[in-house]
Amino acid sequence: MSLDERNKAMLAIDFCGLKFNSPLVLLSGCVGFGEEYTRVSGFSNTDVGAVCLKGTTLEPRLGNPPHRIAETYMGMLNAIGLQNPGAHKVVEEYLSKLDFSETRFIANVSGSTIEEYAEVTRIFDDSPIDAMEINISCPNVKEGGVAFGNDPDMSARVVEACRNVTKKTLITKLSPNQTNIAENARRCIEAGTDALAVINTLMGMVIDIEERKPVIGNNQGGLSGPAIKPIALLKVHQVYQVSRQHNVPIIGQGGITTANDALEFIIAGSTAVGIGTALFYDPLICPKINAGIIDYLNRYKLKNVTDLIGTLKLHEDGGGECSG
Amino acid sequence: MNYSKTRNTIFSEQARVFEHNAQAGNQYVMRLRAPLTASHAKPGSFIHMQCNPELLMRRPMSIMRADKNTGWIEILYKVHGDGTMRLAKRKVNDIVDILGPIGVPFKLGGYRKFPLLIGGGVGIPPMIFLAEHILKTAPAVHPLVIMGSEIPFPFKARPSKIMVSGMPEGVIAAMPLLDDWGIPSRLASLQGFAGCFEGYVTGLARQWLDSLKPDLNNEVEIFTCGPTAMLEAVSQLAHEYTLPCQVSMEEYMACAVGGCAGCTVRVETDDGPAMKRVCVDGPVFDAASVFPPR
Repeated sequence: MSLDERNKAMLAIDFCGLKFNSPLVLLSGCVGFGEEYTRVSGFSNTDVGAVCLKGTTLEPRLGNPPHRIAETYMGMLNAIGLQNPGAHKVVEEYLSKLDFSETRFIANVSGSTIEEYAEVTRIFDDSPIDAMEINISCPNVKEGGVAFGNDPDMSARVVEACRNVTKKTLITKLSPNQTNIAENARRCIEAGTDALAVINTLMGMVIDIEERKPVIGNNQGGLSGPAIKPIALLKVHQVYQVSRQHNVPIIGQGGITTANDALEFIIAGSTAVGIGTALFYDPLICPKINAGIIDYLNRYKLKNVTDLIGTLKLHEDGGGECSG
Repeated sequence: MNYSKTRNTIFSEQARVFEHNAQAGNQYVMRLRAPLTASHAKPGSFIHMQCNPELLMRRPMSIMRADKNTGWIEILYKVHGDGTMRLAKRKVNDIVDILGPIGVPFKLGGYRKFPLLIGGGVGIPPMIFLAEHILKTAPAVHPLVIMGSEIPFPFKARPSKIMVSGMPEGVIAAMPLLDDWGIPSRLASLQGFAGCFEGYVTGLARQWLDSLKPDLNNEVEIFTCGPTAMLEAVSQLAHEYTLPCQVSMEEYMACAVGGCAGCTVRVETDDGPAMKRVCVDGPVFDAASVFPPR
């Protein structure tokens, strides 16, 4: 086996039966419909295990008014508002342009009602897409006026409705804006999700003091970037206490910008790790993170990155709360 | 296999600072060695640059000039916030991480005889790039560049050696670089700068347009870049005189490669309203699509 082949074998993972080139997953909302970053010379979708496409609803949506983004200390806010051309157009026009030999493509299913989530899932089920991620952290929902993702009952109902219409891999993206993420994870697993994505952005605000107005057109937005990494890591650790009992893998995400960040998430219990905002800093970051992971595995004489999942050694006399 | 035509069109370059000169009004001109960007840049293209390695989010900057033979590009910026403040501290020989060139440029070639280029503030750079491009590629075309600024202009204005008919008396200040190329330019400001038109760029443009013989009006087209309010006023002017007009837009930007849809502007299309990304669907748009005639 050549060095290159051995390196590839160290990174390759099985994710719910899907072959990933690497544990890295490009996150929904950061990479358009899968082809956008290939504009950058040197970037390749083959460097990652999977690419999550932009959040898709049944009907086209224009999204929020500008400004949609604002810089913060070690991060950024965004409020794009699910701008997308609708599920049918995504399947007909965008999926046909993707090269499925390069990586796995995951659709991101969004909606305002349970029926809409199920219908979008059904449309993607009848397409070449490899898997679907259910986005239950959208704040603009009809029922109850609260996010589906912050209510374990509603989360479970959405997952169940999607599960009923597809046999493809379902990943449920959990919101950090809730009291007990591990309990929500348990309910989603019971409702039939195959995997969990932990976490989505945290809600935040930035104010222009001259105008005394929020910078973001939507007034509030989702915080991402290195600022949220410790929060995301703890959420992964909490969710893992539940998910490992069911052999349900986690895509850990939130502020990962280096190989060490990625390794922390894997040690905490992630099978795969999401890269989002870091791409905005450096579009060529993925091969660097892959190389850093390989170096670490070599240092500890580990054959594959999966050997590292959930190997966290907690302090025996440490405190903290862990559900599950 | 269905490889997209857009693949590998943006380059990641570690660009060395060649020159970095402070101008009046806390503005700076930076010349960078970035051969791939320089050889592919077109008027309207921009770069997405790291101001400083510790500041992670990049900043979009219009390209003012590009020399593919020697591989340099030039940008102009005004210190406005944390990013540009850090950028201003970069020294000659420092390495700056850039992505470029990005964006749909101005529609080049097939020009009308009298292109009117209107730049405001840090919207001036694409107008310089376009003027130089016209000079090199379309010798029979006679551009006029009108620039506006409410802080000192980022160059030492001097009385123009080139006559422009229809200009109000005393409006003689010009950008030396353009004057040396033989391209007429005139300046507008409310700040009472010597030799400048006292008013908005649209006021000066209107006087010039009104001075043209009616049949010559059909020979004018407008290219513009600057603050949104100015772009809207220029677009209305173009509509009033039924002139084609292309605007280069600006919006807060995260990825700059079309991935995040953070930098959109509302555009009217044949299929109704759409949110278009300034980074890769623009930054140049047809004026009437962004600013529908009132």
